[in-house]
Amino acid sequence: MKADIYLNNINMYYSSSAFRENSIKSFVENLMKRGRCKHEIIDIHALKNISLEIKCGERVGLLGPNGAGKSSFLKMVAGLYPIASGERIVTGTIRALFDLSLGFEPDATGRDNILYRGLLLGMSPKAMREIEGDIIDFADIGEFIDYPIKTYSAGMMVRLAFAISTSIGGDLLLLDEIMGAGDASFREKAKRRISGLIDNAEILVFASHDIGSLTSICQRGVVFHHGEVIFDGDIGPAIEEYKHVNGLI
Amino acid sequence: MIQYVKGIWESRYFWMHLVFSDLRSRWSRSFFGILWAIIQPLGLALMLSVVLGRMFKLDVAEYVPYILSGVLIWSFVISTITGGALAFVQSGPYIKQCRHPLAIYTLRTVIVTLAIEALASVSLICWILVLKPENFGWTWLAILSVYPLLVVVAWPTTTFFAYIGVRFRDVQHLLGLVLQALWFISPIYFRPEMFRNGGLNFLVDYNPVYHLLEIIRAPLLRGEWPTFENYSYCIGLAILGFILAWATGRRAEKRVIYYL
Repeated sequence: MKADIYLNNINMYYSSSAFRENSIKSFVENLMKRGRCKHEIIDIHALKNISLEIKCGERVGLLGPNGAGKSSFLKMVAGLYPIASGERIVTGTIRALFDLSLGFEPDATGRDNILYRGLLLGMSPKAMREIEGDIIDFADIGEFIDYPIKTYSAGMMVRLAFAISTSIGGDLLLLDEIMGAGDASFREKAKRRISGLIDNAEILVFASHDIGSLTSICQRGVVFHHGEVIFDGDIGPAIEEYKHVNGLI
Repeated sequence: MIQYVKGIWESRYFWMHLVFSDLRSRWSRSFFGILWAIIQPLGLALMLSVVLGRMFKLDVAEYVPYILSGVLIWSFVISTITGGALAFVQSGPYIKQCRHPLAIYTLRTVIVTLAIEALASVSLICWILVLKPENFGWTWLAILSVYPLLVVVAWPTTTFFAYIGVRFRDVQHLLGLVLQALWFISPIYFRPEMFRNGGLNFLVDYNPVYHLLEIIRAPLLRGEWPTFENYSYCIGLAILGFILAWATGRRAEKRVIYYL
């Protein structure tokens, strides 16, 4: 199946009722404060009228300052958040790397956790046993693989998580700022691994602030600003636009 | 709908893993380990039967299996409903990361609890086999039907409460209160005759909890088949739960992530 992303005029909100405090205490407080001016919490309009098409074989970089909508965009494409209006058609299996440390059980060994995390990502136990050796080699944390995860240092945890997540491929790869993992030598290794993974994926969408890796990986750049797409084109001009809008040059 | 069921099937390795890891962590580092599942309800039933048996002048040896069957089913109801109401909240990290059908997280609660109750029912069956062997017979096949029945009743109902519980966290506390009241007016520890003698027939005849309990009490305690009425009440309850869950889930399924 050919991977394809088609987005037409998409709007997405974060519902304010979810984070407005909803307890008897706040209810009583509101009654007392009635009439007095209060900072009102309203729905967050996270993505505004987004229309994009990403075809098979494209490598797209997302640029923009914090809070511009890059992560929201990735989560919307992954189908995690519902859209308020517009059309979203995504074909192909999605592999998203958002939070590396999810799905670890602190009391289980590293080896067991490889299996658990694979299952979370929708793999079968048999397929996971086949790639277990590869993952252990790549994580390279020695005998710790048979120790419970809670004895790991933060760096070791990241190594293992990274090794597992990147061993399971997909047609659509969504990456959110994950290059900063591990020490210098691991970082080099991780970079090579990511580029291997990218070669195998049909579509890559990659959010980052690292201009260097964006230029080396992506051909197309999409610049976000306050939830809107303000530029969509080649990566070079996209970076210029990004710098220009944010007053970096 | 078909897509949804397919999603549940496709993520089976994942939720089965969650079930096993719940069961493992439940008894890890305890001396009796898995035996606690048997000891706990049996101990409770023994204590209650001695006290209540004296109070109501009943034969303790006969009263123990009655109470034990009540303890087993009722603790299943309590744990699935109050635990299930928080199922989405507890599975928040997974929900935010991977798009699996949400019903797998309530299914996890239901299956874990069912496994524990199934284990606990060993003591009940042994008790009857030793002290009332004449009850054993073909009717015991009906006991097997209680396990799928419990799943079809509890799964949609807990899913319904989980949708609501994620938005209104008060639900869990409210349910605790409601279940306590339901316990009081149901023949769980008290015998149905006590209600009938007091002219409270309706609390027995129209009470789904009574009918659910009859599915195991009729064969185990009296060597009889459960009646058609018993089954109809259980299946009716399952259908009601399914309609509630489906009607709520249609809108709520996608919005759950906002409230985590």
